[in-house]
Amino acid sequence: MPKTKSLIRFGAHIVILSASLFGTLLSSIATAAERPDFTGAWTTYRGNPGAAGGPSRFMGAELKLTPQAEKARQDFISITEGTNHGAGNSCVGGGMPGSMLGSGGYPMEIIQRPEQVFVIYEAHTEIRRFYIDDEAEDPDSFFPERNGYSTAHWEGDRLIVETTRLKTQVDSRYPHSNQASIREEYYIDEPLADGTRVLAADLIMTDPLWLEEPLVTTKRWQALSDYHVLTYECSEPIWLDEMEALYEEAGLEMVQE
Amino acid sequence: MKTFIKFTAVIATTLLFSVSLYAHHSAAQFDFGNNVLVEGKVMEVRFANPHLRLILEVTDDARGTRDIEFEGHSRNNMRRQGLMPDMFIEGDTVTIRIAPMRNGEDGGYVTALRIPSGEEIGRVSGAD
Repeated sequence: MPKTKSLIRFGAHIVILSASLFGTLLSSIATAAERPDFTGAWTTYRGNPGAAGGPSRFMGAELKLTPQAEKARQDFISITEGTNHGAGNSCVGGGMPGSMLGSGGYPMEIIQRPEQVFVIYEAHTEIRRFYIDDEAEDPDSFFPERNGYSTAHWEGDRLIVETTRLKTQVDSRYPHSNQASIREEYYIDEPLADGTRVLAADLIMTDPLWLEEPLVTTKRWQALSDYHVLTYECSEPIWLDEMEALYEEAGLEMVQE
Repeated sequence: MKTFIKFTAVIATTLLFSVSLYAHHSAAQFDFGNNVLVEGKVMEVRFANPHLRLILEVTDDARGTRDIEFEGHSRNNMRRQGLMPDMFIEGDTVTIRIAPMRNGEDGGYVTALRIPSGEEIGRVSGAD
């Protein structure tokens, strides 16, 4: 009899476990089905006026900078204002959050895989990678970069992206220290009247050293169809000028174009 | 060529109000509210990113003959405006529309190319 009881108990456990596994499976299938595919080319949103977000709203001055940041910002302005000096002019990309908030005029392309989302901003071919769930590693094991290191996870139909390992940037429209962190929440928003897909991202940048208040904004893009996102070769002319000078100095003819 | 111009006109319209939001440096020196025509001989042209570089030999009563350097959109956006390198052959005379320098000096930002038919290619409203 005790043997029978044990068998019944074991059987019950199996049923409960199977039901639980089946439930988890169903739930993960349902969750995966909820996840939108952001793949494609996107440009600046032109739906409701003022809803596009991005640099039209923030020109640096609207950021609540700490005195330390304000001093650094003013120093930079004092040596570059009215000149051709600028990161972009030196073929350096904007870095986060400028790369994301400024995208659209130059289109943005997204390639989505289950474990990783690639975002390619045409301007300066800035590439961001969102490492999803287990694909992400410890951000502190990577070098700081202008676009930082981004980990991501899904919450229903929204992709949550956390970016850290940023470099201190005074040359950005959105100046920040290397202690800044950025949270983005990507989702498919209401389509335009003609059915064009709209992608939105709520962004919050916090920075204990340089921002008195977080930068909070929403950026929107609309889908581009039949569209070529181009490569963005920028530094080649610098090398060509260098080559030309070397050839000239040597009295040789440069044949490379 | 016509198809390309038509295609790029559509794209240019799409991008018209957005490209100006991504300036690689301050464009305050250019007066985009005051577009003027300039005719000159192409001395050098470089379709490049982040900006077009165009040098024209220009002659006028006020300052005589000299080479003037103009800036323009990135080559990516020049293409989207329908402006391609074969429209600026060295030695050819071209007419461009520019946003002149606010301080009155030579130079400016290329906003369009006027072709012999009088049609203008490009509708640049701000620096990219």
